[in-house]
Amino acid sequence: MLKLSKILLHIIFLYCIYLLGNWIVEIFNLIIPGSVLGMIILFVLLLTNVIKVTWIEEGTKFVVDNLAFFFIPATVGIINYFDLFVGKGMFLILIVLFSTTLVIITSGLTSQWIMCRKERKHD
Amino acid sequence: MINFIIGFLSIVSTYGVYLLSKKVHQKWDFTFTFPVILSTVIIILILLVMRIPYEIYMIGGKWINELLGVAVVALAYPLYQQRENLKKLALPIISGTLIGAAVGVSTGTLFAKVMGFEDILIHSLSPKSVTAPVAMSVADTVGGLPTLAVVFVMIAGFGGVFLKPIIYKVCRINHVVGKGVGIGSASHAIGTASALESSLLEGSVSTIAMVVSAVVVSLITPGLVNVLL
Repeated sequence: MLKLSKILLHIIFLYCIYLLGNWIVEIFNLIIPGSVLGMIILFVLLLTNVIKVTWIEEGTKFVVDNLAFFFIPATVGIINYFDLFVGKGMFLILIVLFSTTLVIITSGLTSQWIMCRKERKHD
Repeated sequence: MINFIIGFLSIVSTYGVYLLSKKVHQKWDFTFTFPVILSTVIIILILLVMRIPYEIYMIGGKWINELLGVAVVALAYPLYQQRENLKKLALPIISGTLIGAAVGVSTGTLFAKVMGFEDILIHSLSPKSVTAPVAMSVADTVGGLPTLAVVFVMIAGFGGVFLKPIIYKVCRINHVVGKGVGIGSASHAIGTASALESSLLEGSVSTIAMVVSAVVVSLITPGLVNVLL
């Protein structure tokens, strides 16, 4: 019971940071989603020790471990778009797979190349 | 009052189905038993069999949707846990992730445009490389449909995990940092889960790449889509 109330309290705290992010995005008319800005704010607050990690740990860990739960209602929405993936729509799947392959190759090779140069310098 | 009961029932049953799917996945570790896939299939079947429209289910579902923002904010925690690796490997991880984010958004958008798909589909497909809650919000900003965005995110996630061994072999990506950045930038949380199975360091690198990629993609997508369409 104590753990459950702790988790709830932490989630309310995260929600407040989310609202803060939304609020800043609205005031300054930024293109970044309020939730992503909220994540950056929380990361900076943790790094600078303004917020101790123990204050939010249980709830945050619970949310991250169960990330999939939060977007189930959205994926169920596919129920209204079944006909989209028949016929020509099949190509959308191929496009995503091909583009994903290109992302793995370019990002992977870039970091590997920089890593190898770094490691050679150290030798 | 009736709305409150329907909402409560759909939240509780969604969580129940999710817990059940998690148990099933722990027992039989197949791609199609991934909790999010299994839960979605089960709930769709329930809705179809009981003839419940999606809109009714969403009376409760929208409250879970509302918490997606919280889920994104929470990603600061794994990034914070990886702060030492982030400091040590900042240059290779961030450069790779930047390039991957730009390649992912622009190639997806361009191919879909060349094939003559409608704008609303292209806009839903553009942010497919990042974790679902972020992709939904980005798709919404640029004029796509969050629901479709999640479907493309899933395809990118599972597709990347499936193709990864061949790509690593053909392109000689064998350094743990290269592997982690590749799968984290392309296949977000699903890719990170598979990287963690290879090694702790690959998983950590993938975690950083996934979170950095979420920030970069949400920043560049509106501009890139504008230029390309």
